[in-house]
Amino acid sequence: MRGRMRVALVLCRRQVFESLVSPGFYVLLSLCLAISSALTAGFAASVDSSGFDPGLSPLYRLVSGAVSGTFGASFFSRLFAEGPLPFGLAVSFLPMLAFLSVTSVFRFGHERGAGAVELIVYGPADPTAYLLAAFLKDATLCILSLAALSAAVLAAGAFVHVLPGRLFVLTLAVVALASLAVFAYGALCSTLLSTVTSALALFIGIQLVFALLFVGGFALVSEPVRSVSFVAAAALQWVSPLFYCSLCFRAAEAAQGAELAGACLLLAVLSASLLAVGHLVIRETGVRA
Amino acid sequence: MIQARGLVKRFGAFTAVNGVDLNIDRGEVYGFLGPNGAGKTTTIMMLLGITRPTEGEVRLFGEPAGPRRTDLRRRVGVVPERHPRGVWPWMTAEEYLSLFADLFEVSRKEQRIAELLERVDLLRFRWKRIREFSRGMLQKLSIVRALLPDPDLLLLDEPISGLDPLGIKQVRDLVLAENRGGRSIFISSHQLSEMEKICHRVAIIFRGKLLVEDRMKSLLARLSPQREMHVELDRPDADLPARVRTLPFVEEAAVRGNTLVVKMSRQGDHRRDLSQHLISLGLVPLSIEEKIPSLEEAFVTITQENVLALAQGGPA
Repeated sequence: MRGRMRVALVLCRRQVFESLVSPGFYVLLSLCLAISSALTAGFAASVDSSGFDPGLSPLYRLVSGAVSGTFGASFFSRLFAEGPLPFGLAVSFLPMLAFLSVTSVFRFGHERGAGAVELIVYGPADPTAYLLAAFLKDATLCILSLAALSAAVLAAGAFVHVLPGRLFVLTLAVVALASLAVFAYGALCSTLLSTVTSALALFIGIQLVFALLFVGGFALVSEPVRSVSFVAAAALQWVSPLFYCSLCFRAAEAAQGAELAGACLLLAVLSASLLAVGHLVIRETGVRA
Repeated sequence: MIQARGLVKRFGAFTAVNGVDLNIDRGEVYGFLGPNGAGKTTTIMMLLGITRPTEGEVRLFGEPAGPRRTDLRRRVGVVPERHPRGVWPWMTAEEYLSLFADLFEVSRKEQRIAELLERVDLLRFRWKRIREFSRGMLQKLSIVRALLPDPDLLLLDEPISGLDPLGIKQVRDLVLAENRGGRSIFISSHQLSEMEKICHRVAIIFRGKLLVEDRMKSLLARLSPQREMHVELDRPDADLPARVRTLPFVEEAAVRGNTLVVKMSRQGDHRRDLSQHLISLGLVPLSIEEKIPSLEEAFVTITQENVLALAQGGPA
């Protein structure tokens, strides 16, 4: 185990370095910063002497329409009860999450096909070390980008006199934990299917299903969709990161500390379980694409 | 170094490797020969403990090999068939080797990398990107990577495949130099003429079955029970074969152009007796050369025998 972790860390260090010297990461980070800045500035423009009114800003009119239409007006009110920072952080991180997870699946499949995993296995480690390295790289880049994004969001908030509340810290933690679960899904898809395109298709498909189930569960506009979604969600919710995210926020809203900790723990357990399945799969399917 | 007993690997109904026994000794160059698709790479994966055999067992350095025995695999430097260009082409040779030096926990890695690159004449390309390397350079780089942890055994899978004559010579020289330095070498290849120049012992695998495992000289001798001497003469007579056949050790004789071809018993060295007999007949032998069958001929003979046995319904 020590040897496996050491090899994983060496590979992770190399992959993080390569990501940090390539422009893609910075382009996406800039996009995330721009989105967070726009959301914070838009919130400031939506506040007048009577308080927060989404109708005052075109951006927030759009956000309010989309969120209220999908999740309901009360959800929208609760979301912005502490200001725009938690929402800004979560939404602006989405492009980075998509970028990191998709590139990771792509890289894993490509390198497996080219023989990188085979090379590692011929020498100092087993394929799980490679799997772990991919996950650790994603986790490191996720933490780095979340740190940069949080700093930017806080700075933008301070500029318009919006202070972060308890929900901001919770959002940061939940987004980080949910991202780890998404990365673990990416690693699992890479072990299940040996070609880049099929692994990517499976990964994107799974995430879309989770997103549709999540949105469908809230949707007020279409009852049939909601019914189907409830049934499907009952079966699949236990493996969906979004389900645990909603558990965390519900527990936080009800001020249930134990439930909140439990939901966070379950999110971490989901990531660990996905990685464990990935370990078993790659052990059986072998290192060759 | 490696002992394999009764290795079988099945993929569903297909048997890729069928009852292979191998024994690779310390300090030797062992050739593992067979056509493409014969089961060489599957056998190698089992020898390294990466793939579990369906039946049989492998002992690597005296201990049972298995997927978890990375400690044993660290003692084997593997040069796979595929080149590193497809893996991390954007890396320089230095970055690539440095990564593996870290993975293998090589101490004083800069010095070790420089020393090995110098040995294969690649030191001046240290900072060149892998994508710019020729096939020969890539193969040497792969060998350097495999040698980084100073392994007890160097295992090369098709090391000269696709190389030009100069590249082949460089790899051959490198392998022989490593072996002279005491390192055991295992080479899997389908290029027999080259293996003949390198290997001490060979095993031939065909359709998943090990047909033969022997020392190179014994294998070739076994395939030709008689010694065949080619004697170059100035003007051999047409009745010379009949006069040569009078010698007790000669079994067959014939004249081909200016050459007398004599097949004789393997018991003893009769070259002196043959020369004296020819001189007594008033002929001057200009040269005497023993014709040894090539490994290629041996391979064809062995595999053809096997195909015939299969066609007759006998065991392959």
